[in-house]
Amino acid sequence: MSEEPGADAAPQLVPLNAIFATDFVQILVPVTTANTMQEVAAAVAYHVEGRRVRALPYQKVVIYQGERLPAEMTVAAAGLKPLDHIAVEYDIPEGS
Amino acid sequence: MALLKREEWQGFVRDVDWSYSYVDDEAVYPEWHSGTGKVPRAAWQVWEESYKVTYPEYVATQREKETSAYAVKAALQRSATWEGLDEGWKSATKMHFGGVSLSEYAAVLAELKMARFGLNGAWRNMAVFGELDELRHASITTFFGHEFISRDPQYDWTLKTYQTNDWVAISLRNLFDGMMSSANVVDIALQLPLVFETGFTNLQFVALAADALASGDVNFANMISSIQTDEARHSQQGGPTLEILVEHDPVRAQWVVDKTFWASARALAALTGTSMDYYTPLEHRKQSYREFMEEWIIDQFIRTIEQYGLRKPWYWDEFMQGLDIWHHALHMGLWVWRPTIWWRPMAAVSPDERAWLAEKYPNWEKVFGDKWDVIIDNVNAGNVPATLPETLPWLCSTCHLPCCNATQSRNGTWRVRDFPLSYDGRTYHFCTKACRQIFWKDRANVNHLTVVDRFLAGQIQPMDVGGILAYMGLTPDVMGDDPDYQAWTKDYAGRPAEGLVATAAAQS
Repeated sequence: MSEEPGADAAPQLVPLNAIFATDFVQILVPVTTANTMQEVAAAVAYHVEGRRVRALPYQKVVIYQGERLPAEMTVAAAGLKPLDHIAVEYDIPEGS
Repeated sequence: MALLKREEWQGFVRDVDWSYSYVDDEAVYPEWHSGTGKVPRAAWQVWEESYKVTYPEYVATQREKETSAYAVKAALQRSATWEGLDEGWKSATKMHFGGVSLSEYAAVLAELKMARFGLNGAWRNMAVFGELDELRHASITTFFGHEFISRDPQYDWTLKTYQTNDWVAISLRNLFDGMMSSANVVDIALQLPLVFETGFTNLQFVALAADALASGDVNFANMISSIQTDEARHSQQGGPTLEILVEHDPVRAQWVVDKTFWASARALAALTGTSMDYYTPLEHRKQSYREFMEEWIIDQFIRTIEQYGLRKPWYWDEFMQGLDIWHHALHMGLWVWRPTIWWRPMAAVSPDERAWLAEKYPNWEKVFGDKWDVIIDNVNAGNVPATLPETLPWLCSTCHLPCCNATQSRNGTWRVRDFPLSYDGRTYHFCTKACRQIFWKDRANVNHLTVVDRFLAGQIQPMDVGGILAYMGLTPDVMGDDPDYQAWTKDYAGRPAEGLVATAAAQS
């Protein structure tokens, strides 16, 4: 199994430690190496948004090791590994 | 023949010891059990308990206590007292029975280990009394909880909890295995009698006894008060042990005390903090958890360690900040993951209850109010399923409790931060800096996998909510639910509520 699967490799499961915005707890969120950051953000938000954290009308962004990851970047391309921690935040425009 | 007076024989028998000639001392007191470390063997000869007791005195006193506790129980058994108790308070007792009964039995084994491997006759003698105490506590707690099984199957977890793979039970086993089962007797004497029993059983037994009486649960108050009188006596095993260890190995003494205080504080935040500030009905609360901690635990702990020449633990600021956060976050976690527990957690966030919380904890609304508001609005929208979990909380690799401790940023916002550690080819996550530090220094001792670890290792099948609940031993008749959603949501009914899960779906 290669560490960085190519486009033709079967997606690998990547369980993440995730926190959504102002939620009170880190949660387990499984994604795959093929998921984009937009999909990862949605997977994390699914468990929290509108359930414990009021939904806001903004895009969501994945933050990994202090860096914002582009929405179309895949988990494999971002180098996210199983058990890594990510935060998902609303991308609130300045002045909002 | 006339009996000798107590003072004529006690000094002789209380510390009977002898030198071995046919076997090595090491064979009788192996280091991995006796744990003398840097303390010279001879130094233990001066070990002396401050309150001395003889076996006849012990038996007479304990008989009296047992008679009294069971007399009250027998009288109340015929009354309808239990039926009239608040559901929140019943939850506090279910949590106590399940969390404590077999933990007391673990303490029996720890006391027996001290009774066998303690390096002074008086210490071993004292530990025999301690073991008899703990056996009584395991029995009385199990027996009192057992009575209610016919009325409510959740009380069946009085005996069951400790033997399940419920995440709360694993957290307790992790705590007590480190404190009692795997430790040598010197460390046990510091961890169990000194830190846990001198400090923290006060919290569960004294604070909860007051709340029990106020809530009308005389039987429970009577039971835990009876237990606490034993704790007060046998907890003094720790003092003389610490005195000797501080003299010969102060670094070890400081470390053992520090890590046990922290581990105990984490567990009791879940066990007692939630009971005091949420499950006890508002009108019956005597003190907030923080107030009780400050008055009964912190002042006493600081006095004790200073008396022995130890310093405040390195994590003190983090601990004090946690008094405003830990148990509130754990309460929310227990409520959200309520199908995984054996009691019915009352959310207890009505306007009056929130006003009390905000008065006692000025940051409560800022840190927790927004989440409860969304939960309340979901309940009032008829969408209780939206408040139920579909994944696991991440559990700390040291305390096994959810990673849920928000801290304040310089800009004033509150966020749950990650405290990771890469070790031995994998990444671990911790709820706090101190839990990470304890894991690192004790990494050779940590041997329980969290439920998240077990899930990811494929030990839980099928890998879904049903599989997780079955793995934990939860059955539909036992798994927790809020006993009265209306009680804490009705005052908010009809207010505008945006950004709920259905609304979010419509926006996308």
